[in-house]
Amino acid sequence: MIPLINTVTVSRIFGKDEAKVTALDQVSLSIEAGEFTAIVGPSGSGKSTLLHLIGGLDKPDFGTVELNGENIADMSGNKLSDFRRDNIGFIFQAYNLIPVLSAAENIEYIMLLQGITAAKRRIRVKEMLDIVGLTGLENRRPAQLSGGQQQRVAVARAMATNPSIILADEPTANLDSKTGISLLDVMKELNQTKGMTFVFSTHDEKIIQRARRLVYLRDGLIEREETQ
Amino acid sequence: MLILRLAWRNLFRNIRRTVLTCLLIASSLLTIILMDGIMLGMIDVMIGSLTHTLEGEAQINGKGFRDDYEPNIRLRNYQEIQQKLMHDPAVQGSSPRIIIGAMIASTNNNSGALVYGVDASTETSVSKLADAVYAGEFLSGKEREIMLGRPMAELLEVEIGDRLVLTSSTVDSKEIVQELFRLSGLFEFGPESLDENLIFINLDKAQTLFELPGSAHQIAIRFKQPELANDPSLDLYKSFNNDSTEANGWLALQPTMGAMLEMTGYSTFIVGSILFLLASLGIINSMFMSIYERIYEFGVLKAVGTRPANIIKLILTEAFYLALISCIFGMIFGYFISVYFSTNGIPMGRMEMSGIVLDGNMNTILMPYQFISFPVYVTLLTLIAAIYPALFASRIVPTEALQKAL
Repeated sequence: MIPLINTVTVSRIFGKDEAKVTALDQVSLSIEAGEFTAIVGPSGSGKSTLLHLIGGLDKPDFGTVELNGENIADMSGNKLSDFRRDNIGFIFQAYNLIPVLSAAENIEYIMLLQGITAAKRRIRVKEMLDIVGLTGLENRRPAQLSGGQQQRVAVARAMATNPSIILADEPTANLDSKTGISLLDVMKELNQTKGMTFVFSTHDEKIIQRARRLVYLRDGLIEREETQ
Repeated sequence: MLILRLAWRNLFRNIRRTVLTCLLIASSLLTIILMDGIMLGMIDVMIGSLTHTLEGEAQINGKGFRDDYEPNIRLRNYQEIQQKLMHDPAVQGSSPRIIIGAMIASTNNNSGALVYGVDASTETSVSKLADAVYAGEFLSGKEREIMLGRPMAELLEVEIGDRLVLTSSTVDSKEIVQELFRLSGLFEFGPESLDENLIFINLDKAQTLFELPGSAHQIAIRFKQPELANDPSLDLYKSFNNDSTEANGWLALQPTMGAMLEMTGYSTFIVGSILFLLASLGIINSMFMSIYERIYEFGVLKAVGTRPANIIKLILTEAFYLALISCIFGMIFGYFISVYFSTNGIPMGRMEMSGIVLDGNMNTILMPYQFISFPVYVTLLTLIAAIYPALFASRIVPTEALQKAL
């Protein structure tokens, strides 16, 4: 069976000559559909770089990154944009919602890019808001929401198009402990009930405790893997 | 619709910058509307000054007469031509003239001059000779009346009622003729070339004096609609451009005026282009500031799958809205300011340009195209100015943009 994500000897090097930094050094990693995986490591270990490569936001210098059997490292332009839109959901540390759009419009945006009809978008937005517990707050703009609520909107946005995988880069870093746990519970539940695949980049203990699989990175290399 | 909403709301994220950019675009539009109105007003005054001072809006001359004012080239059937002109629906008035070189002498001095024999009863319908009289009286048909310009009168040191002797030769027999006149009026058109050189006497007297019975050299014409003056399809031009006569509108009679008008058009274009270039730089700067402020958002938009073309569309939509708002304000202010100056005029004093006198207030002219074409140009130029920032935004690398957000 083809793994959902398969990176094969992926390397990513930043800078040149003396300033050259190898962020990832021949990393090979396979993730199956339905996993709740955390890539763990200290700052500068290469976890965000790996997440960006898996998400098609960056290209490896060497190696291949396959998602559903397709090498996304070879994609570019509209093909890559469309692939990200249809297959990958992103959750960022800084929420990164569009400040001038309401919560509902932020969730709706990607569906709009997909050409989904307005009626279907409305239904889906309502459903997503309900899942992340933000019903009634759909017309609020990000500035009118708390950090936890904004990150819930980001989770709803990431899930709205039923992507193959949701990549979350330090999703709880800007949240207090209680809000972070609450948000993780939502994601865990989505993983268990809807079979959504989550890959986190983190060094947050709360995520580490909840992840079923832990991939430890250090200095651009996979140090060890654990399954809980 | 969401893209439109997003673009619209983005405009108001930094209201001060949006207002300043709108002011820049709106003031460019306002300036170009006003400048065009002023240019049109100036052209109108110049054409009016040229055609209504003496030349007329069109002329019928003996063929070749205007080349070197050879007095023998005449309109022998001018009354017949005038009759036809009277029945031409396009013509408001016409007046015959005899034009011939002569020597004018007073008891104190003498000077060369160009004598115009004019029909006092019809001349007022084509020129402002009667209005230009500032001392004495306009011609009334009396035999010995003569009118001089102010500089000529100063040179000859004469006053109203003084005697003047005109010396010339008859057209056919080339006999020297002399005739005594009494200064009946002093005129001042404005252009020195006219005031220094021209003398006006009655047509009958000129015909007798120069032995040109029943003839004239020129018929000056004014139209009911001045804009018809240079329309070659007019019956008038078709009928009187033949072997013996030539009929021309003022543009053909004064080709230098045509060149001036063309230059005026070019200058409007050049000034407008410079204005829009400066405005475009302002727009580019403003758009870039706006993009840099939101660079992480573009990173997010691209990360979630927005195509580069959609980013370009978003930026251009923002630029379109910016232009739209600016044009509305530019048009409103442009309209009211133009209406004010078209009603009250711009005081210009008195000045002479290329033999044309601009005197008093100049009223700007409002035209529908100023409020249709110019806003369209401004909108298009704003969109063109936004292309470079839009391309820049579309090429933002998500990972780099997201790092800048942290």
